Amino acid sequence: MSEESKTQGMSRRAALGACAALAGGAALGVLGGCANRKGLDGTAPGPYPMAEAENIIHTSCLQCNTQCTLKVKVQDGLVVKIDGNPYSPMTVHPNLPYDTPPAEAVAVDGAICPKGQAGVQTLYDPYRVRKVLKRTGPRGANRWKSIPFDQAIKEICDGGKLFADIGEDREIAGFNSVVALRDAALAKQLAADVGAIRKGEMTVDEFKAKNAAHLGKLLDSDHPDLGPKNNQFVLQGGRISPDRDVITKRFTFGTLGSVNWFGHTTICEQAHHVAFMYSLAQWQEKDDKFSWAKGPNHMKPDYTQSEFVIFWGTGFNEANFGPTPMSPRVSQAITDGKLKIAVIDPRLSKSAAKGWWLPVHPGGNLALALAMIQWIIAGKRYDEAFLRNANKAAAKAGGEKSWSNATWLVNTATGKFLRAADAGVGTANQFVALVNGVPVAVDPSDEKKSVVGDLDVAGSVKGVEVASSFRMLKDAAAAKSFEEYARIAGLEPGEIEKLAREFTAHGKKAAIDFYRGPIKTTYGYYSAQAIILLNFLIGNVDHVGGFMKGGGAWDGSGGKPDQPFPVGKMHPGALAHFGVKLTREASGPYETSTLFKRDGYPAKRPWFPFTDDVYQEIIPAANAGYPYPIKILWLHYGTPALAAPAGHLQIKMLKDTAKFPLFIATDVVIGETSMYADYIFPDLSYLERWSNPLGTSPVVLSQISKFRQPAAAPVPEVVTVDGEEMPISIESVMISVAKRLGLSGFGKDAFGPGQGLNRPEDFHLKMVANLAAGNKAGDEAPEADDAELELLRKARRHLPKAVFDEQKWQAAVGPLWRRVVYLLNRGGRFEKASGAYDEGFAKHAYGNQLNIYVEPVAGGKHSVQGKRLSGVPVYEEMESFDGKPVAFPAEYEFEMITYKDIHGGQSRTSGNYAGHLAIMPENFVFLNELDASRLKLTDGDVVRLESPGFGGSFEIGSGQAPARVEGKLRVTQGLRPGVVSVSWHYGHWAYGARDVEIDGQRIPGEPVRGKGLVTNAASAVDGYLKDVCLTDPIAGDSAFTGSRVKLVKVASSKGPRAPLAGWVPAGWASR
Amino acid sequence: MNDMQRRDILKAGAVLGGAVALGKLAAGSAVLAGETEAKAGAPAVLERVKPAPGEDVHIRMQRELVRAMKKPLAERRWGMVIDTRKCVGCHSCTVGCVMENKLPPGVVYRPVIDMESGAYPNVGRKFLPRPCMQCENPPCVPVCPVKATWKRADGIIVIDYDACIGCRYCITACPYQARTYDFGQNFSQNAASGKDGGLALDTGRKYEKEPSFEYGSTWTRGEGLLPKSPVGNARKCTFCAHRLEHYQLPMCVSTCIGRSTFFGDMNDPKSLVAGLVARNNAVLLKGELGTAPKVFYLV
Amino acid sequence: MNASFLENLRHGDRARLLKGLWLLALAVGALGLFQRLFYGDQAAGFGSYVPWGLWVAAYTYFSGLAAGAFLLAAGIRVFNIRALEPIAKLCLFASFITLALGLITIGLDLGHMERALLVLLRPQFHSMMAWMVWLYTAYLILLVLLLRRSLRPGPAGSDDAGKTPGLMLAGIPLVIGFAGGVGALFGTVAAREYWHSSLFPVFFLAGALTSGAALVTALTAWLWPGRDEAWKEMVQLLGRIVLGLVLLECVLEFAEFTIPAWYGVGSGFELVWYVLFGPYWYVFWIFHLGLGVAVPLYLLARRPEPKDVGLAAALVTVMFFAVRLNLVIPGLIVPELRGLEQAYTDPVGGKLSFAYLPSLFEWQILIGVVAVGVALWLAGTKRFPNVFPSPSQSSEVKS
Ligand SMILES: Nc1nc2c(c(=O)[nH]1)N[C@H]1C(S)=C(S)[C@@H](COP(=O)(O)OP(=O)(O)OC[C@H]3O[C@@H](n4cnc5c(=O)[nH]c(N)nc54)[C@H](O)[C@@H]3O)O[C@H]1N2
Ligand SMILES: Nc1nc2c(c(=O)[nH]1)N[C@H]1C(S)=C(S)[C@@H](COP(=O)(O)OP(=O)(O)OC[C@H]3O[C@@H](n4cnc5c(=O)[nH]c(N)nc54)[C@H](O)[C@@H]3O)O[C@H]1N2
Ligand code: SF4
Ligand code: SF4
Ligand code: SF4
Ligand code: SF4
Ligand code: SF4
Ligand SMILES: [Mo]
Repeated sequence: MSEESKTQGMSRRAALGACAALAGGAALGVLGGCANRKGLDGTAPGPYPMAEAENIIHTSCLQCNTQCTLKVKVQDGLVVKIDGNPYSPMTVHPNLPYDTPPAEAVAVDGAICPKGQAGVQTLYDPYRVRKVLKRTGPRGANRWKSIPFDQAIKEICDGGKLFADIGEDREIAGFNSVVALRDAALAKQLAADVGAIRKGEMTVDEFKAKNAAHLGKLLDSDHPDLGPKNNQFVLQGGRISPDRDVITKRFTFGTLGSVNWFGHTTICEQAHHVAFMYSLAQWQEKDDKFSWAKGPNHMKPDYTQSEFVIFWGTGFNEANFGPTPMSPRVSQAITDGKLKIAVIDPRLSKSAAKGWWLPVHPGGNLALALAMIQWIIAGKRYDEAFLRNANKAAAKAGGEKSWSNATWLVNTATGKFLRAADAGVGTANQFVALVNGVPVAVDPSDEKKSVVGDLDVAGSVKGVEVASSFRMLKDAAAAKSFEEYARIAGLEPGEIEKLAREFTAHGKKAAIDFYRGPIKTTYGYYSAQAIILLNFLIGNVDHVGGFMKGGGAWDGSGGKPDQPFPVGKMHPGALAHFGVKLTREASGPYETSTLFKRDGYPAKRPWFPFTDDVYQEIIPAANAGYPYPIKILWLHYGTPALAAPAGHLQIKMLKDTAKFPLFIATDVVIGETSMYADYIFPDLSYLERWSNPLGTSPVVLSQISKFRQPAAAPVPEVVTVDGEEMPISIESVMISVAKRLGLSGFGKDAFGPGQGLNRPEDFHLKMVANLAAGNKAGDEAPEADDAELELLRKARRHLPKAVFDEQKWQAAVGPLWRRVVYLLNRGGRFEKASGAYDEGFAKHAYGNQLNIYVEPVAGGKHSVQGKRLSGVPVYEEMESFDGKPVAFPAEYEFEMITYKDIHGGQSRTSGNYAGHLAIMPENFVFLNELDASRLKLTDGDVVRLESPGFGGSFEIGSGQAPARVEGKLRVTQGLRPGVVSVSWHYGHWAYGARDVEIDGQRIPGEPVRGKGLVTNAASAVDGYLKDVCLTDPIAGDSAFTGSRVKLVKVASSKGPRAPLAGWVPAGWASR
Repeated sequence: MNDMQRRDILKAGAVLGGAVALGKLAAGSAVLAGETEAKAGAPAVLERVKPAPGEDVHIRMQRELVRAMKKPLAERRWGMVIDTRKCVGCHSCTVGCVMENKLPPGVVYRPVIDMESGAYPNVGRKFLPRPCMQCENPPCVPVCPVKATWKRADGIIVIDYDACIGCRYCITACPYQARTYDFGQNFSQNAASGKDGGLALDTGRKYEKEPSFEYGSTWTRGEGLLPKSPVGNARKCTFCAHRLEHYQLPMCVSTCIGRSTFFGDMNDPKSLVAGLVARNNAVLLKGELGTAPKVFYLV
Repeated sequence: MNASFLENLRHGDRARLLKGLWLLALAVGALGLFQRLFYGDQAAGFGSYVPWGLWVAAYTYFSGLAAGAFLLAAGIRVFNIRALEPIAKLCLFASFITLALGLITIGLDLGHMERALLVLLRPQFHSMMAWMVWLYTAYLILLVLLLRRSLRPGPAGSDDAGKTPGLMLAGIPLVIGFAGGVGALFGTVAAREYWHSSLFPVFFLAGALTSGAALVTALTAWLWPGRDEAWKEMVQLLGRIVLGLVLLECVLEFAEFTIPAWYGVGSGFELVWYVLFGPYWYVFWIFHLGLGVAVPLYLLARRPEPKDVGLAAALVTVMFFAVRLNLVIPGLIVPELRGLEQAYTDPVGGKLSFAYLPSLFEWQILIGVVAVGVALWLAGTKRFPNVFPSPSQSSEVKS
């Protein structure tokens, strides 16, 4: 017997085996008579390694973006079980005291959702990529060979005829040639000069004359504002933040000098974020200049104390942020009778099942919000005293924490606020409100001189036509009658009134939570703003039971004065990144660009000055070569072809090697989009890797900081990078590329003399150290004692040295090591839950400016139509960029909506057999029974979704069957008639669902992983651009709502089912 | 039996009965060193965390669990209460149980039924998690031809995997269909297999070979001529007996995000569950059958 | 291969063909057995919610045949039906083989075959299944004794049953016990509304008689060595017995189906409806009622030729399997709790489904078992040629 098994715990099985052996055969063994049956009898505890602290590592989930705090359990060196971290208020509420020793805390398992529970199967997915794969056939043919990591790095860096062996005779530019501009000083100078061009302070000719020697480093010397050739490197990140955004931005911006770093928020819920950030923007002074600084991107109801919460196109139990922290809070409050909820959703979600269901028409959310605003204003059911507070001093005097610009005067001609200087009552950096009809200067952050303005006013001041923000809103909301709005919303006027009445009947103890449902349209920003304004109208911000910004986090980036590692600044030799981003997002107004001078209106493709991460537009823009062609596309953790509306159109684009000369991907599997890449680098899964520190949604009202740390030994190959062993991951690729090119920010002295970035933890642990140091002196985390240090080691005994090397970890953080260990052993830093409130308000209060009127947006223009945008929500309908309404022939009779199931984590859980697949092996096409019987469709029929220009299937690659948008019909009562709803997470054509060839061997796919359908290909395409989905011009958000489809039956349901019998609990009878 | 003794038996068996077969058995049930040591007492954490209003029900129940475990086995009477008003139909309990007990495909201890009622626009949706009812009068017990399943002193209905012949009679006899059968399947069995190469075909399935700890033993499943139990056995919810002994709540309770599942000692009048079952909204599933479930539902 | 081709086959060819089919069946069964032994029941169509399938139905079928065949023999003895005396040994032998097949089938159905003995070593006498095993065991011992006496060649064995009246009588309660007991095994399960009926044991017993008598009748009609007048009368008498039993079975079945379904409400009704008009309607209407009842009745109602009796009895015997399937399976296909079928599924092997259709693998095993039965028959009749009395003996009886 091996040494190992001798020390193994003895078990009843083994004892039984011994008896069997004694008896000389199995015959007696089966009697079971000699078994140690204490466990069975309950007389003594049996083995249970999961209850030992030394088998536990605390980290963070990423099965969905809620990123809950985890307690990962290790058995025989493998991760076998995942539960919730008891130190964290996300998973145990209130959480255990932070100073509880891990050996004691181990008794408590926190709660997590089913996706979290199934995570082991994401980590140990047989289809996970282990080695670098290089394609050996045309893009999308799914033929690969595995190649050594070093060779792959060499090839992508040096370029050349990389695919000559398969007959592609093209010269490919590697990183080496794309990173054209490498001189930090020069980059800074060029960036400044381009800035001058955009401000109109320098002409292009002047620029050319001044920088004649360097024009070759630019994309286009006639349009220097596009930036350097470095911008031809594009990092298209999917779920990159908040995960590894900090380190990848360092790489893209500072190391490579490219502006083109993207997240995926516009296929997610960007309109929600953007509307919040502008609604919470503050008028701030920085370097003697005033400007609007965007505010937080999220607020949430204080569910536990609220009396009435509206969930608008979201819930507390399926998606949102997210079931794990929300369900317990909301469920408890509802059952305690404290909380009443309404759910506005065309579909009877599991959340709607717990409250008042309002099955809104998918095109009617904005109408519904405006109707409520109209009714509330007409009935004066808003919090007038709150809204009249025009600045901080007024708020303070009125016993409030925040104030609004409701009374500020807007110049109705320009859409800008009237400045006090123009009214002759103050400076150019002050605003104006009428106080009893008299213009008064407003300094929003003035704590002394309070201004309580007139709310509902209009008139003229010094000849300028003005109206208060409130009046602007009132007028906008009056665009249609209440009844007309009700008709559009598809709800009875009486019901809307009831809703508005209830919402305004609880003082400040009411709030509206919303998410993707109402905002995924071309006017999504306005819908989002309208819903936020409903909250502001009742003045609920920061109030217990109201609307909260959350407990916040410790600063992991080292931005606080006393923190040890300001990682952003610790980048000697960083390049200044400048120029127009590929998607024209966050690149200033179109009107100041040299392209505007060339093209004017309409812009060839829209510009997005108010937003970023315009994900669905990245590949189409590169394909169109507007504003410039690209050379290297790096797709990380994303699958736009699957996940974006009309994303399937991008498949054809990606196959074009002229438009996408080098396409690399970091992925855990061969995914729906990475399958078109030239190289796939394996990445570490969320259970094997580091992340930067993570905050939490405002669901948690106490302060919390968490992060990911390696809990499992790496599945991908371990390689040596410049003498350092590490598993392949996006970090190891970045480190290798930067080192090979000799660029800044990675490698020896990357952070400064003697401080290298040679390993992932060199970066990530520094950020943990910042958390340990705290936000200010005296805020340090405790130091781990020797027992805890020993526990750290023991709990990581299954990790190879390539991952856990105590000396190296310690070296990365220096003297803070013991404090860092304290955090590592607990998976983060967690304030005690009682830190949520403070005398009727949130303890971590927002306490700042709220915008009824959003000046920055109102000051902007639609880059295609040239029309001015609005500072308050205005009624709109679906339209293309050119302003043409989106219309559908009558045969496309169904509004198509999509939603998330609680068991599905975006596109990444289809390998979770025990969770995702077992709970639901395929998704369904839901239809109301009225529609089904009208169309003579029955439950179980297979139907195809067709939309104008989309016939129900699309090609994915040579030699492969097309992907079909077909699924089984599920007839229900719980859906608004006229709507079809299909959940997300299904319909995979890669991810292990289909066969691939690697190193000449066919690796069969598993069809069950590809069952069901994804509706995105049936989404409407923008009529102006024709290669991308309908998009919100302000938020850049992609439209998931507003497309119409028809259903075509392709097969009948398979025979009669077993009798619909079975016992039903009394009172649960269905119909 | 302590570790030493057990090892001795093992050795004797090995010598007499042939080390090879035994080695296999023992290796199959490998767990990390030192993990079988019985814990001396209740974890101190629950002493640090004083009872407080508004505390997570999990903490309260765990405290009660520690209290119950101090009593002799026969004086405990475990019961579960499921508040269907709070259950959000998330299936976290289902999956948590599967992962905890390393259940293979086709075996499930606690599915959650999702039921729609009414007609548009007056529609309801209700959720019904269904663990084993741990019946006081369990119809599944007397049918077993080999006495492989019985009600033990604390009321938990157990299955002796080493005795069960896999006839599945008990499965037919349970009115709640709480028993399922282990066919020896594995989740990864239809996935591509082979050695690790470009893909993790081998590493990606190793976790499935890890033993589970039901009934305080280590079980390494295996197919074959002599299937290794619990392959070939009827299986069902154990009330997580193996966790109770380590002062941990059943997995479906600890991971219930709706906080709708409660567990504790019904014999303890101060326990949460004892209070809940006395409410007039507490009902039984198929109570008319006389099975006398120890799982109660609040409606 | 069309019928005329078959007809044109010379006798030797037909024997070769049958032998070929038999060997093929054995091979098919062997493949199934290999699969069963090394991969368990994974390839079976039954699962966790329909835990019993084709094999359990086959087991009830085989054990019914065994019981019926024995009871026929016992009836011959008890009621002293001299005309049928010659088939008594055949009855016992057929009973032995079918019982063996039943036990093999149910043995293969067990998750842990190697523990089968536990039923004897640690029985739970409350369990109907334990009772079954004990009764079988007792019966098997008795049958072996009976067969030993009656089949042993030589003078001692020339007249058999006559010398063992005690054993024979002792067998009757045992056999009634297990034939009815199989019914009770299902009938006592209160959880299964479809099964939970007092009629079940009677129904099973009657079924056993019918199918067992039909089996022996068919064997007598087809395989009896002498084709004389005595044989003809014997066959015709047997035919009448089968006719009577089929009619009795029909009456019971009518009761079994109509009582729960009469007023058209309730889950019992839905289940009966499912059997009659559900996706597997043909099992009832075509296999059972058509081929297993109507055609045999038609053939037997006239004064039939032996070959008609043989055909009718063979149909009754074979098609009776449909009755067994319709008793076992429908009891399982309905979720005990509505919605359970969608609550959690098995994406790998579909084992959490309420839809049951026997898989190829299950048929493989069943075919193999039948082939083994044929082998036992061949071996048995070779080893003990006096299963059939010699033609002279058979005439003797007549005289
Ligand atoms: N289970 C799960 N949770 C998740 C994630 C996940 O993948 N799985 N992902 C996380 C991420 S990244 C995000 S962005 C959030 C998203 O969280 P949510 O926005 O809450 O999720 P969705 O399901 O996308 O959309 C919410 C609801 O909008 C409804 N809806 C659709 N169209 C309309 C409409 O026109 N009007 C209204 N009122 N409602 C409509 C849908 O029926 C659905 O119930 O979830 C996070 N949490
Ligand atoms: N129909 C429909 N479509 C939707 C939605 C919807 O509700 N309905 N929701 C939208 C929303 S809110 C979002 S946020 C998006 C998200 O949509 P996706 O971008 O599809 O989401 P992810 O699951 O983050 O994963 C993208 C891909 O990254 C790869 N991947 C998975 N794990 C890892 C990892 O650890 N490392 C690396 N490098 N790669 C990994 C996999 O190939 C995976 O398919 O989808 C949007 N699309
Ligand atoms: S909600 Fe579930 S999947 Fe999402 S992070 Fe939390 S535990 Fe993980
Ligand atoms: S629920 Fe079923 S398995 Fe559980 S004790 Fe009752 S009868 Fe037995
Ligand atoms: S399957 Fe096992 S526990 Fe169930 S009745 Fe048969 S032997 Fe007993
Ligand atoms: S008590 Fe344990 S075994 Fe039973 S359902 Fe809950 S988690 Fe599963
Ligand atoms: S975990 Fe809790 S809330 Fe979720 S389905 Fe199970 S019982 Fe219901
Ligand atoms: Mo998202």
